[in-house]
Amino acid sequence: MTAWLGRSFLLCLLNVVLALFLSPLCEGIMRKLRAAIHSRMGPPITQPYWDLLKLLGKEDLRSTRGGVYASLPALTLGSLLLLAALIPMGTAPPLAFAGDMIVLLYVAAMSCILIMLTGFASASPYASIGSSREMMMLLSVEPILAIALTVGAFKARTLALGGIVNWQVRNGPSISMAIAGVAFFLALQAVVGKLPFDIAEADQEIMGGPLVEQSGPRLALFRWAMWTKQLVLTLLLVEVFLPWPRFGIHLIDLVVTTLKVLVVLVLVTVIDVVNPRLRIDQAMGYFMRVGVSSLAALAFAVIGK
Amino acid sequence: MNTIEQAILTRVKEVVAARSDGALLSATQPHADTLHLLIDKRAMRPVVDGLVNELQARFMTSVGTDKRPVTGDFGILHLFSLDRDHLYVLLESPVSESDLRIDSITPVVPGADWGEREFRDAVGVHPEGHPDPRRLLLADDWPEGVYPLRRDFPYNYHPPPAAHVRPEMREPPAGASVVPMGPFFPVLEEPAYWRLFVEGETIVGCDSRVFYNHRGIEKLGDSVLTYNEIPYLAERICGICGFIHSTCYCQAVEKAAGIEVPRRARYIRTIMLELERIHSHLLWLGIAGHIIGFETLLMQTWRIREPVMWLCEEISGNRKAYGMNTVGGLRRDLPNQLKPKLLEVLANVEKEARAVLNAIVGDTTLHARTKGVGVLTNEWAKKICAVGPPARASGVAIDARIDHPYAAYDEVPPQIATQEAGDTWARVLVRVGELLESIRLVREALSAIPDGPVCAEIKEGIPPGRVGVSVVEAPRGEAVHFVLTGGDNRPYRWRVRAPTYPNLQALPAMILNETIADVPITLGSLDPCFSCTERLETLDRKTNEVRIYSHAELLEISRRKARCGGAR
Repeated sequence: MTAWLGRSFLLCLLNVVLALFLSPLCEGIMRKLRAAIHSRMGPPITQPYWDLLKLLGKEDLRSTRGGVYASLPALTLGSLLLLAALIPMGTAPPLAFAGDMIVLLYVAAMSCILIMLTGFASASPYASIGSSREMMMLLSVEPILAIALTVGAFKARTLALGGIVNWQVRNGPSISMAIAGVAFFLALQAVVGKLPFDIAEADQEIMGGPLVEQSGPRLALFRWAMWTKQLVLTLLLVEVFLPWPRFGIHLIDLVVTTLKVLVVLVLVTVIDVVNPRLRIDQAMGYFMRVGVSSLAALAFAVIGK
Repeated sequence: MNTIEQAILTRVKEVVAARSDGALLSATQPHADTLHLLIDKRAMRPVVDGLVNELQARFMTSVGTDKRPVTGDFGILHLFSLDRDHLYVLLESPVSESDLRIDSITPVVPGADWGEREFRDAVGVHPEGHPDPRRLLLADDWPEGVYPLRRDFPYNYHPPPAAHVRPEMREPPAGASVVPMGPFFPVLEEPAYWRLFVEGETIVGCDSRVFYNHRGIEKLGDSVLTYNEIPYLAERICGICGFIHSTCYCQAVEKAAGIEVPRRARYIRTIMLELERIHSHLLWLGIAGHIIGFETLLMQTWRIREPVMWLCEEISGNRKAYGMNTVGGLRRDLPNQLKPKLLEVLANVEKEARAVLNAIVGDTTLHARTKGVGVLTNEWAKKICAVGPPARASGVAIDARIDHPYAAYDEVPPQIATQEAGDTWARVLVRVGELLESIRLVREALSAIPDGPVCAEIKEGIPPGRVGVSVVEAPRGEAVHFVLTGGDNRPYRWRVRAPTYPNLQALPAMILNETIADVPITLGSLDPCFSCTERLETLDRKTNEVRIYSHAELLEISRRKARCGGAR
């Protein structure tokens, strides 16, 4: 019993530490790639780490008083670290005993809601506009994530994420999971706040939206949270929809998974770079269509494809 | 240069005579294309109504002049253009010091709004019946009753500072909330303050305060500088289209003084003006992309633009502020051996620009963000007197290069691009068309350029009391310079109207019922240039100290910069 607990604890720690310290690196790689497409030199790949260090060393300024507001950045990052412990990284999810897919969806939405609350509490018109946009995006994107994961749950006849992954590994690719995977990928672009869906931040329109009043260490934590989210959700996509090949050796699987994550992040960046920003109503219309289309995956799953 | 039909002159005089009811004091024709009418001020509004509604005259700008030392009165002059007939109509009324009022023409011409507010601020003549009683030009802490463009006002006067001043702004309609945009905002390169009245994300109205950049350029022109120094100041009105303002000023003085500029100088002016249009439109396309988050477009168009800047540096010695123009022609010839290089750079720019344009023309996301967004209707574009690409994108086919040919445009006329839709996408298309057309114009001008001198010899001084009106089609639209010559080797009055001045007045109608997300791109699609509009000293806001650099200090700073970073 204690050995099991110890192992789970260690794996949790591994997931959390990896998510926390690899996410700035991923961001650095994405920035370099973006610069290349722009015909620019771009910053060094390690720049995001220096950004975080610099911001963490700055004065803590708050536009609103109160303990809840003060703790929002830490809660946001915390919620994403919890998410990191709930998903598999080259092995079964370490915190799986604590919750299944439904818990995971709640935890994934938590960071969005915390950022929204920060915006509404910031006492800035730009932040409230940004938060209401964030809410609209969450409402249009969350169902797609849910449908995509439900397809997996339906196929594997389990709500446990580890179970879905194992089923995928055993049974190989299927039409329904492929469609669900594409829908998840399209939604991912919006969930991680990349163009054409960075509508909630929209620097040129509302100066960073919900985070307009954040600076110094608070901004550092929010940035870190966003980068972690980017990495963790990409991991989720890769593990659930593209788990092959699986070698059964944790370390090798982890490396392979990381490579796959990088490929997906490259795709996300390319889409980000070649698109202008959509308006919120246009984005909602788009995800409405994606959501309806993703229902096809469920239909395929029902007929066993 | 222009053949003005005698019939149209007669027709204008008839309309004015019929509407003025005997108040026409004099009618002169100082230049072939300029009709100067002096009328009694009580007839101003009916005469303007006649010009605009019967003759489709287009209001250009208003000029308020303190003529007390000369005639004993103030002079209020409204400038109109009959574009199809290549004619300027100057409508002037004396306003005596005892009764500083004149009928406002804004109720007849909505586009005259800012022009009239400006002369009220600058010389203190009150436009009666003007819908907006608030300041336009003067700072909010400027003392009441001090008018900077009056002759007895010293150019170096410092008003006492005031604390806690706010601009006078309108309140939002019931149920709407305010989203401020500015005075400093990411997509505004320069300060301007917009208050958007919104319901949810929908704009139900707006109010603005501009003129944060006023530099007092016109005052310097008629009190400190001389004719031949002003071109350098005019060039610094704008950071992008400097050559346009210096050309426009020089043309106005040349016209007033009757100086004939050599053909070669006219051709070189044309080439430089078109090069400015090329780099300005590329710059604009990049900024438009940046506004909607399309950074790749920004980076690529600015990369393509850079060789054009290097070319300008090679021709004039500077990337910007070429210092080439002088009254009577140019200070610097375009070396013939640069021709092959010019053509080569243009060919590259054209190739790369076409590649970018092909990529954006089919971009559906770009269409989604620009089509049907920020519509300027044809009717309102005419009423608000919009100019340049925004006017042409709304089906108003006006272009100063065709309507009032200057430089060498009479021999190398441009094909102008117009669109009917009036939305942001139409403005993109118009500018894209102009960009390619400008490349063609430079090529054509280079092949047709004659040899000869580049500057006319000016033997005698410029006589006082002459007027000269000049327009130049800047990338943003038509720039207007008005010069009234003075006696001490400087203009008595020099008036500048940049293209953004009328176009910015069109914005409130364009963003009505749009969403907040569309405001930046709609504003951006006007290609606004606030420093142009506001013609505005280094002020350190932190210490609130005005630091004036001496000539020697400035030289030292620029030499230091040139030594360490100037080499490419």
